[in-house]
Amino acid sequence: MVETKKSEFRKRDFFYLVPLWLLSLIAPDPYLYHKKEFKRKDLFYLGAICLAPLIWSDPHFHHLMVLAGIYAILALGLSLFMGYAGQISLGHAAFFGIGAYTTAILTTHYAFPTLIAFWASAVSAAVIAYFIGRPILKLKGYFLALATLGFGEIFLVIIRESTDLTGGVIGIFGIPWFSVMGFVFDTYLKQYYLTWGVLIGLFIFSKNLVRSKVGRALLAVAASEDAASSLGINVPRIKLEVFVLGAAFAGFAGSLFSCVMSIANPEAFSLGLTVPIVMMVILGGMGNLYGPIAGAILLTWLMDILSKYQEYSLPIYGVILILLLIFFPDGIGTRLNVRVIYLIGYWAKKKKRDEGKF
Amino acid sequence: MSLLSIEEITKEYDGIRALDRISLKVEKGSIKGLIGPNGAGKSTLFHLISGVEKPDSGKIYFKEREISSMQSHERSTLGIGRTFQTLQIWGNMTVVENIMAGMNRRLKGGLFSCGFWLPGIRRSEKEALKEAKKILNSLDLLGKWESMASQLPYGKQKLLELGRALAMKPELLLLDEPASGLTFNEMQQLSERILQIRQEGVTAFIVEHHMGIVMEIADEIAVLHNGELIAEGTPEAVRRNPQVIEAYLKGKRASA
Repeated sequence: MVETKKSEFRKRDFFYLVPLWLLSLIAPDPYLYHKKEFKRKDLFYLGAICLAPLIWSDPHFHHLMVLAGIYAILALGLSLFMGYAGQISLGHAAFFGIGAYTTAILTTHYAFPTLIAFWASAVSAAVIAYFIGRPILKLKGYFLALATLGFGEIFLVIIRESTDLTGGVIGIFGIPWFSVMGFVFDTYLKQYYLTWGVLIGLFIFSKNLVRSKVGRALLAVAASEDAASSLGINVPRIKLEVFVLGAAFAGFAGSLFSCVMSIANPEAFSLGLTVPIVMMVILGGMGNLYGPIAGAILLTWLMDILSKYQEYSLPIYGVILILLLIFFPDGIGTRLNVRVIYLIGYWAKKKKRDEGKF
Repeated sequence: MSLLSIEEITKEYDGIRALDRISLKVEKGSIKGLIGPNGAGKSTLFHLISGVEKPDSGKIYFKEREISSMQSHERSTLGIGRTFQTLQIWGNMTVVENIMAGMNRRLKGGLFSCGFWLPGIRRSEKEALKEAKKILNSLDLLGKWESMASQLPYGKQKLLELGRALAMKPELLLLDEPASGLTFNEMQQLSERILQIRQEGVTAFIVEHHMGIVMEIADEIAVLHNGELIAEGTPEAVRRNPQVIEAYLKGKRASA
């Protein structure tokens, strides 16, 4: 693996903001009906995603974007469940872990090809989500949050204790690179295209869902379950479907994660991951599919930048998150555009005010 | 056979009888009104019919099928649509999406066919949009089709809720206080719309707190008081019923 070097702040870091800004070029109100269709703007984003790693041909940037892409897949699935269906899950990291461990076990113990393990990861995460979701999705609000949190903790205990299968606290090493028909994704650049390719596929799937009957049913459930069921929407079923779908996304992400990091250990899937994922969804903007991607890029980048301040990194991180939540209460992906325009307008007016023209 | 028949239905909340052995029938193609003072059990009865709550005893038949143990969404799939007393509009969607979400039970497609945007879904979405706009047009809401539903004024939201219930093409439409909070003009528009719905073959069952609009459009009226059915008949007969006058006057005196 390429060693990530901890250098001082580089000017180049500022350029990481550029893809973020591109993502934030979303029209003022992404909730409008016709805005949910695919637009020419999406082609522009696609171009930016394809070209970004070629312009900044820095392995560290590539690696960062691979991680951001994986977290974005995770956040995308959670955003369908949280942002659209209005439920809450604090156990999403567990499904990520299930995906990662499925791939790890299948490829190291049984020498399965990674492509099969990739699909198996999603299926196993989805199946477990189905059996977990059936009972606990009857809960609402805080109770659902606690139940999913409990599930996450139970998952960690199981992973730590079943030493033979999962390697216990140490985890599983030597997971092979992802490969498709003999083509091995062994550099960060190749992995970048792999993860973002998967992300784009899942994004298109989610966007189709959101603009169709399913998306409307999800929003209806979030707004009023009584009204939704009185109009023929099967509320428990649609909640379960989207929970399972989110888990399948997490399974894909986990599989990619274990192939990229070539290690799966329990610490990577603890509450320490759940909280950033939820933050990505909230910071990015609820009820908006571009949001979680913007949030994932922002938080991954932020954690990386701050990691050079050692022990001060967490307090700074916390303060930045609080500031972001204060100034972008409905998410950066939703309102950054509007805010920037507003700020520019404010500065222009202030200048005129100072000159006494107002 | 009547479209909806309720037999000996009882519902208690913490020992208080909200409904006491109520039996009612709603004939196909008619407009039935249900009136009564505050706390008479009108909304409870609607909740029991639409499945938001379950009765303690008694049976409900819809199209000669017993529905008392069915889930709420199963009942609406059979063709019972409703609006709510406290407005339950989906404010997180646009006006047109509210209507299209109301069509949910008629649109085909599951998670995967929607996610892959198969040609069938594409077609049905297009048709749904066209039909939703037609419904909005008939409610004079087409001008606002793309604003968020939460941004509409109250009266328009009420109309939108009615439109949403109509979009599912119900056979029986339960309207829970459709006129409350409306201006005089909006009320006029509403009663015209309800009469028009009847001509399209929809049976309406209306709970209304104040008499005016119900007396005007209903074919038959039932009066609830303290969980008991005290009168049933044509508007004229109900208006002259001494028990009804008594119940309403008492209510007036208590509130004055």
